[in-house]
Amino acid sequence: MPRFLHTADWQMGRSYSRFDIEDGAALVEARFAGIEKLAQLANEHQCDAVLVAGDVFDAQTVSDRTIRRVFNATKGFSGPWVMLPGNHDAALAESVWTRALRLGAVPDNVHLALQPGVVALESQGLAILCAPLTQRHTYGDLTEPFSHYETPNGLLRIGLAHGSVQGLLSDDIDATNPIAPDRAEVSRLDYLALGDWHGTKQVNERTWYAGTHEAERFRNNDAGNALIVEIAAPGAVPSVTRVPTGKYQWHQWRETLTVESDLAELLKRLEALPDASVVDLRLDGAITLAGEDRLLDALSVAEARFRSIQCDRSNLQLEPTEDDIAALHADGYVGEVIAELRQQQELQSEEARDALAILAGLLKEREQEAGQ
Amino acid sequence: MKLQSLRIEQLRQFRNPFVLNNLQPGLNLIHGPNESGKSTLVRAIRAAFFERYRSTAVDDLRPWGDSAAAPAVTLEFEHQGEAWRLTKSFLQRKRCDLIVGTQSFSEDDAEEKLAELLGYQYPKRGASKSEHWGIPGLLWVEQGTGQDLEQSVEHAGDHLKSALNSLVGEVASSGGDEVIEAVRAQRHQLLTATGKPRGEYAQLDKDRLEAEQVIAELKERILRYQEQVDRLGKLTREYERTEAERPWEDAQRQLEETRVRYQQVQQLEQAQAQEKATFDQLQQSRRLLEQNKEHQENLSRQLAARKVELDKAQTEVQRLELQAPAQAERIREAKASYEKADQQVKQARLIEARTRLAQDVQRLELRFQQLTQNLAKARDYQQQLEQARQQARDNRIDAAAVQRLKIAERQLDEETIRSSAIATRLSWNLEPACSVALNGDVLQGQGEQQLLEESSVEIPGVGTLGITPGGESLASTRRKLDALQQSVAELRGTLGVDSVVAAEAKLSAFEKAGRAQQHAEELLRSVAPAGIDPLEIEQREAESELENAKIKLSATPEPDAAAQGLELAEAEAALDRAAAALTTAEAQDQKHRTAMMSAQQAQDTAQAEWQRLADEEQSPERQQQLKQIADEMLGIAQKAKSLEDSIERRSREILEARPDLLKQDIERYQSTINNLRQTHEARGRELRDIKVRLEAWGAEGLDEQLNEQEAELERCNRRYLELHRRAQALDLLLKLLTEKRQALTRRLQAPLQKHLDHYLSVLFPQATLEVDEQLRPGAFTRGNELGQVTELSFGAREQMGLISRLAYADLLREAGRPTLIILDDTLVHSDQERLDDMKRILFDAATRHQILLFTCHPEKWQDLGVPPVDIQALK
Repeated sequence: MPRFLHTADWQMGRSYSRFDIEDGAALVEARFAGIEKLAQLANEHQCDAVLVAGDVFDAQTVSDRTIRRVFNATKGFSGPWVMLPGNHDAALAESVWTRALRLGAVPDNVHLALQPGVVALESQGLAILCAPLTQRHTYGDLTEPFSHYETPNGLLRIGLAHGSVQGLLSDDIDATNPIAPDRAEVSRLDYLALGDWHGTKQVNERTWYAGTHEAERFRNNDAGNALIVEIAAPGAVPSVTRVPTGKYQWHQWRETLTVESDLAELLKRLEALPDASVVDLRLDGAITLAGEDRLLDALSVAEARFRSIQCDRSNLQLEPTEDDIAALHADGYVGEVIAELRQQQELQSEEARDALAILAGLLKEREQEAGQ
Repeated sequence: MKLQSLRIEQLRQFRNPFVLNNLQPGLNLIHGPNESGKSTLVRAIRAAFFERYRSTAVDDLRPWGDSAAAPAVTLEFEHQGEAWRLTKSFLQRKRCDLIVGTQSFSEDDAEEKLAELLGYQYPKRGASKSEHWGIPGLLWVEQGTGQDLEQSVEHAGDHLKSALNSLVGEVASSGGDEVIEAVRAQRHQLLTATGKPRGEYAQLDKDRLEAEQVIAELKERILRYQEQVDRLGKLTREYERTEAERPWEDAQRQLEETRVRYQQVQQLEQAQAQEKATFDQLQQSRRLLEQNKEHQENLSRQLAARKVELDKAQTEVQRLELQAPAQAERIREAKASYEKADQQVKQARLIEARTRLAQDVQRLELRFQQLTQNLAKARDYQQQLEQARQQARDNRIDAAAVQRLKIAERQLDEETIRSSAIATRLSWNLEPACSVALNGDVLQGQGEQQLLEESSVEIPGVGTLGITPGGESLASTRRKLDALQQSVAELRGTLGVDSVVAAEAKLSAFEKAGRAQQHAEELLRSVAPAGIDPLEIEQREAESELENAKIKLSATPEPDAAAQGLELAEAEAALDRAAAALTTAEAQDQKHRTAMMSAQQAQDTAQAEWQRLADEEQSPERQQQLKQIADEMLGIAQKAKSLEDSIERRSREILEARPDLLKQDIERYQSTINNLRQTHEARGRELRDIKVRLEAWGAEGLDEQLNEQEAELERCNRRYLELHRRAQALDLLLKLLTEKRQALTRRLQAPLQKHLDHYLSVLFPQATLEVDEQLRPGAFTRGNELGQVTELSFGAREQMGLISRLAYADLLREAGRPTLIILDDTLVHSDQERLDDMKRILFDAATRHQILLFTCHPEKWQDLGVPPVDIQALK
């Protein structure tokens, strides 16, 4: 009963511009660790092969080190790996693949499907029908030849392709590299392993997107999984199991603070998140000076705990209460300035908000000094 | 605050206690000469307030050389109804005691109380300096610093403002300035004074640009990389296709075929060339034969031609022979004409010679006659001349003597007449035959005589009568008359005449002879200018010449009477013509004879030639040759015909094969093969190049670099925007704080301005002086003048400084603060007029404040209306 692991869209060589260098590096490391995790899962689930449905690499000219590390990471699983060039790493005349071969980095058990055709894994009972991208973009269905590929009897016909299933995903995502939605049926495939969509997604009972093994965007739907596919015999309906592979959870929250309890609620939710989180907060509404103190405290704690937390407060107005102002001992013209800034803030002036925050900070410092 | 008394002891020159009391609430004028201790009093007041009692930095208070001294100051003053007494001693006895009303303070408490009252600070350590003096620093003016207002105001700053706050009822913000400074400092980290980014903020902007540039470069390189990859793919496909198809092999095959065909054509062309050469040889032989034949045929033609020539020569000889007699005749005639003309010339010459000789004779005869006549005339004239000369010689008379005679005679006549008039006239009428003698002269008949002298008349018979003429001058007249008569007689004798008439006749004849002589001479000269003898010689010569001419003429032969007389010139011309005609005729004759000879010669030659040819033509060898030539030519013509056909045929064959195109085809195929091979090889090379290049570029990990750079850029951008926002916020905050603070300051300025204007109107009625944000006098205007106080003259600045201080004092007083004013020798640079104004101002100010005015020029201040206090007197 052949069983294999379906994964895709590793996008190795990508770096994270929105994070600090340290956080970005950790996230990159997680992607390498993810491959090791896949190898480990393949072993755990006694898989016969690992199929990678395209975009192993994020670009053609990644560094030699990245290339070597990717193939090193596969070492944990000694069974066959079949890697398919996708749109990011198409099998051009000179490509990341030819470089890998030249470097001698590709282990013997890793099959690079650089030409369209069939990779027959006889001993595993698998015939992999491969539709690699040999150009950066194609506008024809590269899986169409699958129908003509003859495979030895008794081997499962497993399609391996990278592109957009027509009519499934919204049109603006990827109009290139189209794939017919009924490809599995038409080309008599037992299973069609797809890549390109970064979230795990089932198209039909024989067609799946595995999604990326480690999330790298906030907008991914259900990323960070691999699929364990088991097919009893040619023609049998595959049994597909989703196994999590991702280390980090990515969260992007848009919150509006209006009353005191909103802040409390937000802080509670933050606390509930696991440590391996990447958080992006964007706040609007209004907050008192005391509230902002609490928020900053909580963010400071979260920064230490999470992989990364970013908080955009530019649309969050500061609304000092009378108590706040009294506490600042802002008398005379400084008091007038505070009033003026509060007023300007209401006219959507970020500067006024920031200015108010700075002034409040200075006054508070002064108070603290005086207190000492 | 009113200072009432001052007591000092063991302080500088005041080793013994010195007391200054009875100080008035208004103006106090304290004077003393230099060194009298005036400045020490001021120093004592300052020390009492500003110096900490325990300060070790007040050695200047110690009397000179007295290390055991404990300088002490005691001040008594009144403030807001309470009596204050301050006792402070330094150095050896450090103490401070303050009694306010019933309360007592000592040491630090006392000092803090004082500082709070007056508004100043103590130094943290060491001596008190101007920056600690606060409000007193403004109101207590040290000698020579009255004009330096700015610093004093700055040091007084906060005290002044807090004093004013209570006045305008505002809160100036506690520590607001600190906040402003903090904001300014934070802003300064990001922005320059003019609002340009600086430090990290500016650097980030640069970094962004740099990162963008690097990214653009990387993108460019990636694009090139991708282009090369595409090129590699295309080249690989093409290379492989070419390698499989090997298109150059087709071309090679075609090339071989074309070469074979071209060789065939070349063989044809060779055969053609050979036949053409043969044909050319035949043509050559035929031409030689034709030449030979023509040569033979020429012989007959030449013979005929020779015959013609011979005939012509003969004809010519005959013609010339016929011309010969005519030619001889022509010569003869010409000769005859010439001789005749020659004769005529001779005749003409003869006639001319005779004519000339005859003319000579005629001329000579004429001349001879002329000379003969002249000679006769000359002789005649000579004779006349001789006669004239004779005449002249005969009648020679002196013309002057004649004149004199004429005069003498006229005088005589006149004297005679006169004598007759006076003479005694004796008239007589005697009877005929009677006579009487008068003086012996017989008188008869009638008569009359004048008597000038005694006369006697003898009458015959009668006797003698004597007569004596009377009259006085009768005697002189008689003498004169006698003298004249004597003279006339002498002259007549000299001249040889008996009367004037005779003399004149003689003179006339003389003159006539002279004229005749002159005339004859002239006539003679006209015919014989050289005289008669030369004329005679000339005449004889003419005669002999004439003779000669006549002889010559007779010797000349007579011309032929029959010959027509031609003029010599005409004859000579005729002769010339005849000579020319003769020459021509002779030349023609010569020519003719030459022609004749050459014609003869030609005839002989022609004859010989003709003979030779005639002999040759008739020879049998020639006949034989002609026949042989005709046979050979026939043979050649046949051969040539067959060759021509063959050449024509082959030529068509060659033309149809198009060897030129074949040759081009060969070149074309050759270059096609080369091109195909080269292209293929070049492609192979390029493939290898690109592969090598891509390997190198790929190893750089360009995409990954780009990724990292973009991340870097985004980080830069993020940080930049954070700083940008912060800068904007700080800018806004600083702007707002400054604005609000200024607004407040402006509210505080108003009362100060009011007081300042009050004093200024006294000093400069038309001027304005504005108070700036720091509450300092700033812009000053007076008429058209506009400037800062600091730009004024020293004196004016001092005056401005003083009225400003007074204005502050007024302001402080309104705020309920103590206002003691101490002026140490101030206004020394003011002129009298200004000083008067300032006195009015001080007097006015003294109605509100206590003023201590120390001076060493009491005379300047005596009209201040207060009694002066003399320090010397108090000692």
